[in-house]
Amino acid sequence: MSTATSLPAAAPAAAPLRSVAPGGADQIDWADKNYLIVDDFVGVRQLLRESLRSLGARNIDQASSGGEAMGLLARVRYDVVLCDYNLGEGKNGQQVLEEARVRHLVNPSTVWLMVSAEKSVESVMGAAEHQPDAYLIKPITEGVLLTRLNRVWHKKQVFRLIDQAYAEKDYLRAARLCDAQIAASRVHEHDLLRMKARLMERSGQPTRAREVYEQVLAQREYQWARAGLAKIRLANGEFEQARLAFQGVIAENRYYIDAYDQLAVSYQNMGKLEEACAILERAAKLSPNSVPRQRNLGNIALKLGNMPLAEKAFRKCLAIGEYSIMKTPDAYLGLARVYGQKNDAKEALRLLLVAQREFAQDHPDIQLRAKITEGLVYHESGDFRRARKAGDDLEAMLKATPARPDVASCLELATLLFAVGVKDAPAELLCYVIRNNHDNPLLLDEVQKIFDKARLSEEGTAMILASKKEAADLMNRGVLLWKTGKLGEAVDWMRDAIKSVPHNQRILFNAAQIMVSHLQQQGYDAALAGEAHDVLLHVDHLLPGQQRFAQLMEQLTQLQPGRVDGSTDDGDSAQTDAPSTR
Amino acid sequence: MDETPNSHELFLFLASTAHDMKNSISVLSGTLERLLSQSPAQQADAQPEAASAYPQMAQMLYQTKRLNDNLMQLLALYKQVGKPEYPFDMQPLELGQLVDQVVALARVLLDSRGIELELDHDPSLIWHLDEDLVVGVLSHAINNASHYTGNRVRLAIHEIDGWLELRVEDNGPGFPPALLKAGAIAGRDSVGGVNFLTNSAGLGLYFSGEVARMHRHRGRHGTLRLENGGKFGGGCFVLRLP
Repeated sequence: MSTATSLPAAAPAAAPLRSVAPGGADQIDWADKNYLIVDDFVGVRQLLRESLRSLGARNIDQASSGGEAMGLLARVRYDVVLCDYNLGEGKNGQQVLEEARVRHLVNPSTVWLMVSAEKSVESVMGAAEHQPDAYLIKPITEGVLLTRLNRVWHKKQVFRLIDQAYAEKDYLRAARLCDAQIAASRVHEHDLLRMKARLMERSGQPTRAREVYEQVLAQREYQWARAGLAKIRLANGEFEQARLAFQGVIAENRYYIDAYDQLAVSYQNMGKLEEACAILERAAKLSPNSVPRQRNLGNIALKLGNMPLAEKAFRKCLAIGEYSIMKTPDAYLGLARVYGQKNDAKEALRLLLVAQREFAQDHPDIQLRAKITEGLVYHESGDFRRARKAGDDLEAMLKATPARPDVASCLELATLLFAVGVKDAPAELLCYVIRNNHDNPLLLDEVQKIFDKARLSEEGTAMILASKKEAADLMNRGVLLWKTGKLGEAVDWMRDAIKSVPHNQRILFNAAQIMVSHLQQQGYDAALAGEAHDVLLHVDHLLPGQQRFAQLMEQLTQLQPGRVDGSTDDGDSAQTDAPSTR
Repeated sequence: MDETPNSHELFLFLASTAHDMKNSISVLSGTLERLLSQSPAQQADAQPEAASAYPQMAQMLYQTKRLNDNLMQLLALYKQVGKPEYPFDMQPLELGQLVDQVVALARVLLDSRGIELELDHDPSLIWHLDEDLVVGVLSHAINNASHYTGNRVRLAIHEIDGWLELRVEDNGPGFPPALLKAGAIAGRDSVGGVNFLTNSAGLGLYFSGEVARMHRHRGRHGTLRLENGGKFGGGCFVLRLP
């Protein structure tokens, strides 16, 4: 090595060092921001603090554990969070992020950088609900930190209005904003296209989503675009093609975990539970810390009768859930079933008690679901006397309240009640399911099968028909009032219809449509608009990705007086369609 | 795929150990960079004896960076020897941002050794690559060049016939024949075992070759080669990405 001469100029003549912010004009002042550093290693915290200080930062808080971080996040609004993924005992970095987002402890503008010692599998999957803005690999130097901070900041500016429209579920406006930004910021073209495809899916326009994915693939082989195409096939019921496509994605990048989960769904839809189970097991090995994945694995293993695997998955689910806001009662209920099959009713009941205690707050139906599981546990372990007792309890619980659990729980409950010899309550419950899903042929078949199994085929068929008619009549009457110009009466009628049949998506859509009509023709009314908004949010929750949802949301937002919407109408928004009858 | 439960346990143990080592190395290199970023003259004003320690600290930083690179490369590679398994993550990136990060990683070390870094690239050119991997490979190459160069290192990135060519050149004596040979092996399509890992540069070369190969586009994949020459007539580390 030559002797070191005096220090050379930092920026050589050939190409002067550019400012890290693109364009340089939008330099960000990092000095005034509030920072939070989360790492369990004091040396790393000090190092990061020094790095931030040399960016000019003054307000820097530190936490050495996930719990401590949550305490600070609850008190202070941070602009930037630097969070290590591995935090020792307790919450990990991802769980801190999820809880902070779910509890709205961070602003949409908050920059969240996840730090880890090595590239994590989770950083690739891309489809997870709560992703940090960037992943950083140690060691982190000032230059890398500044580059990434600036980039994330710039991207957030590009996405600010889009994210806002997305949060308001005005997907069509968000998509138009994406189009406008694509021309302006080439660096973010792929992120914008990815967002646009997602928006097209959410708004029930898979054909246009497909076009976006193909546009990306014409440039580069991006696995998220391949997976996007596969997901459209899956949603379309083309399960075999979806399977092939997801397998193709995995062959190209075996760390694209989302493709495993979707492949398992494809297999499940084809009735191939063994294969679905095997693929979820592989995914859980590569990325074990996902509550939904372990829960799905446990449920499939339970269906297959693979009790050791089901137990392992549910136990893992509980372990991850202990520190996670994503925890669900499903793992407790599933594990109780496992113990029932193992003839350990005592342990099963203990788990059900724990579940009722832990989830009483956030899951109002937990008591009912725990009781259903209790009945199944007794029934499966051959204790028919106690199973019948649980059945009677359930019947009493149904009588006490008009609220009903989700469709899957209803079907499970009806099946159990028939099995233990209760007659009226399950038939009524199934009628309730039909009234709320009168145009879902797959579900009608499933309900008929439950009647068949209870040796009530004919009675069942008659009840299904009557329930279907009841729902259709409710809906058609409202449409008739609307067609004959009696808007006020139509709105009142649909309001009552929703009260008696709260989860029927066609009734809900028609109700929203009639309310929007009312607003358009008889002037804006904030209360009615709010009501329509709630109806739409409810139907989107029941069945996401409907085109009618996107269109009605857009019309509703546009009706809002004084709304300044920079995006132009390119013909996306449909005319006010007539409410449909059937 | 046919991992035994035991190997999974071992993996978790190794991963947590590596995590811990990374923390230590982060602190070590961060502290050294901080100390070194004050110029020797400033230090001499404060403590005369510190000035004499300056070249030694520069050497410590170089070695610390090597340690970190080796650890990172081992972590990415060891999971299945001979068959790299790494969560590859391609993204579009402006070259300006790529170079900013490489420069930031190398700056203190190069300054401390009085080495001038010349840059030659179009900062607004966008390419599709795994940012962490390519930044790692380039800063490793610069780290290496800083040890063998005279007083200059050049990072040149250009698009040539649909390929992105990334060159790290120095004005030192160039690579010895044994290394050129190792570079040729690392750049080949399939690596027959790891028997070329006989010299100290083996791991870095092997890793860089794997990183090149992971970048694929329309039936082509990246390549790596070592040569002597370039603008300064010294060693050249040449990574080409499709």
